[in-house]
Amino acid sequence: MNKSIAVALGAALLTAGPAFAQTVTVALNADIRSTNPGVNRDDNTDAVVLHMVEGLVGYRENGTVAPLLAESVQLSADGKTYTFRLRKGVKFHNGAELTAEDVLWSWNRYMEPKTDWRCRTDFDGRSGLKVEKIEAPDSQTVVMTLDRPTALFLDSMARTDCGMTAILHKSSVKEEGSWDKPVGTGPFKFGEWRRGEYVTLTRFDEYRSPPGDKPDGLVGAKRTALPEVKFLVVPDASTVKAALVSGAVDVAQVLDSDLAELAKAKNVEVGLFPSATKHTFLFQTRDPLLGNVKLRQAIAAAIDVPQLVAAVSNGNGKPNNSAVALTSAYYGDAQRKGYSYDPAKAQQLLKEAGYKGEPIKIIANKRVHVPSFNAAVIAQAMMQAVGINAEIEVLEWATQLDRYNKGNYQMMSFSYSARLDPALSYEQFAGPKDKQPRKVWDEAEAEALIDKASTISDQTERQKIFDELHKRQMEMTPLVIFANGQEAWGHTKRVQGAEPWEGKPRVWGARVATN
Amino acid sequence: MLRFALRRILMAVPTLLIMAVSVFVLIRLIPGDPASLMLGDLADAASLADLRQRLGLDQSLLIQFGIWFGNVLQGDLGNSITSSQPVLPLVLDRFWISARIVLIAVLIASVLAVPAGMIAAWRQNSTLDLALVGSATVLLSIPTFWLGLLLLLLFGLKLEWLPVVGYVSFSENPTAALLYIIMPVMTLFLHEMGVLIRMARASTLEVLRLDYITHARAKGLSESAVLWCHAFKNAFGPTWTLIGLVLGNLLGGIAVVETVFTIPGLGRLLVDSIFARDYPVIQGCLLFVAFVYVVVNLLVDLLYPVFDPRVTAE
Repeated sequence: MNKSIAVALGAALLTAGPAFAQTVTVALNADIRSTNPGVNRDDNTDAVVLHMVEGLVGYRENGTVAPLLAESVQLSADGKTYTFRLRKGVKFHNGAELTAEDVLWSWNRYMEPKTDWRCRTDFDGRSGLKVEKIEAPDSQTVVMTLDRPTALFLDSMARTDCGMTAILHKSSVKEEGSWDKPVGTGPFKFGEWRRGEYVTLTRFDEYRSPPGDKPDGLVGAKRTALPEVKFLVVPDASTVKAALVSGAVDVAQVLDSDLAELAKAKNVEVGLFPSATKHTFLFQTRDPLLGNVKLRQAIAAAIDVPQLVAAVSNGNGKPNNSAVALTSAYYGDAQRKGYSYDPAKAQQLLKEAGYKGEPIKIIANKRVHVPSFNAAVIAQAMMQAVGINAEIEVLEWATQLDRYNKGNYQMMSFSYSARLDPALSYEQFAGPKDKQPRKVWDEAEAEALIDKASTISDQTERQKIFDELHKRQMEMTPLVIFANGQEAWGHTKRVQGAEPWEGKPRVWGARVATN
Repeated sequence: MLRFALRRILMAVPTLLIMAVSVFVLIRLIPGDPASLMLGDLADAASLADLRQRLGLDQSLLIQFGIWFGNVLQGDLGNSITSSQPVLPLVLDRFWISARIVLIAVLIASVLAVPAGMIAAWRQNSTLDLALVGSATVLLSIPTFWLGLLLLLLFGLKLEWLPVVGYVSFSENPTAALLYIIMPVMTLFLHEMGVLIRMARASTLEVLRLDYITHARAKGLSESAVLWCHAFKNAFGPTWTLIGLVLGNLLGGIAVVETVFTIPGLGRLLVDSIFARDYPVIQGCLLFVAFVYVVVNLLVDLLYPVFDPRVTAE
């Protein structure tokens, strides 16, 4: 009887489900927001969209930028004119060949206010840099002229939250100008989006991969062997685990705490993948108490960072007190010098700060995949051990983000999204609080250094600046960065090579193992 | 009957009006801003101002309410902030998915729980009664998300009978659709059975103590005739009212089950919208759930006289 039910159900399933054995299913913890690159987006949206579209330049694994749709990028002697030579033979999903005209059209669309491109302010002068002119001297060349020399122009274009400043074909928008679907140059074409359920992408057979023999960040070899990939929305972490073990899902981010158990499952392999996400404790330097640098230093000395990181990452994480990510080409000896755990020094600093047991509230949230709450609990215990009256207030994420944006907190356990260039990473938290209350480190000297690092391109010079910035940050302690992201992912054994990058699934390097 | 129905529908108008105002105000009292959530942790002031302006969030609350309410009166619940989709079709789409699961679950729960409750009452204090009441209490006490996960573990992973994730709509493939909703339906009906068994048992116990039941027995009627022809009609009333309430409750409270079983229903839409502070969708969902609640309870009241002719709709 049971067998017959199983057979009947199995037969029904075969007619129902995605029956193609070659289809790879990737779990997303929430639905994508749109298919419009850099417009209405979040991390899941970027992950899916970047399988379909590409920009002139993209990020390498180590956070530096490399040409993608461009074959070469030349910078003029005054550092203000960028000349992009396009790769030949690159085609859009509708078969049209990529030309300089398409780059101009895409750029102009991004700079239109009604497009709502989230990175427009980074290029229209409102955040400093302004692209003054864009021209196409011939069908394979694009020249962009800036108002000032900057080291961050290409980085900003490559940012995943900007949708890689993807070059799109005109047919991506409807006649009246509203968004339709991405007609890009990526290794996958848009298939179907069932809101709240899944997005499918199909292989683009005429895809022209950039050079390389393996995927490198968002550049390198991007040829794909998979005919179809399905991004399936599975919001619950326990369901993701069950789906992975049952084979209903091939690739998924999993909980750190599930790693050991999943590693024992016979058809699942797991791995840890670093990202440039920064896990931190922020201090409100305008708070009457925490405005005192000695108190902030005392807290930093009270926290045993390696122990905290080991605890919140189930022993898998690596401590890092620097804004330069562990994976960055700029991470060196200077950045390795972090805080040292010294309870006696902490107590001494508390005395010097005149601390009298006033409560210090740490705001935290309980989102999965970020250590906010667990880190707060451990920090609280460590702070209490040296005599700091630490309290925790747990907030829902939207409320915490609101408090963060308004600067309305004493201390906050907070994770920053990844910024790969160190100057952009510092810029996330350093700046004038009067203009942007979310900024944590309001110090003119630091801002001047970041501005300088944003202007010059020479790597050695930039390294010196980042070393100096790290030293200052350790002294001033406007925040305690304790680790970069270290995400746990699992995949079924039938799918190999689908390694995520920067917390995002990346399946163009994947293949389905045949038994 | 018609006048009663009309009066009840008219009485729902102020309920919905109060609901509209309170949902609008309450959701805005919670800290959090859809624009800053959309831009994430790096919202620079200019982008945030741009987005707030485009979403109309820079207007005063009164103006925002006026615009929204004016549109609602014309049957337009606005567009989602995060997905730009029109809210009414979105809510209706998701509602049918949830409604199907809830209706099937409540139907099965009622069909099984009412006789079970009545039998438990009929054999009060017997082993059967104890077993039924005990099971009902256990079912009632297990949180639905945990029950759901247990079912997933058993039928999805161990026995491999049912699909673990995904959803197929009925219009696409009815057989497969059925497979995908078996576990969510089972989770809900097992939980609701606990509630209904206890109610059916309690109301039957009250009725069985009444004189007319003793009279029926004295006439020499069989126990089954006493139970089903005489006791049932009077004992079913309170359970029937409870079924109406359960239906309404489940429509709002199915989110957990939908999350575990990846069902794209109304509950998940509501929860996702709250996390994203997608005001128009939250308002649309809650207004719609309130409306359905009113309609379901009206239908329950209108059908009540069928079971208990002493109660008239007038």
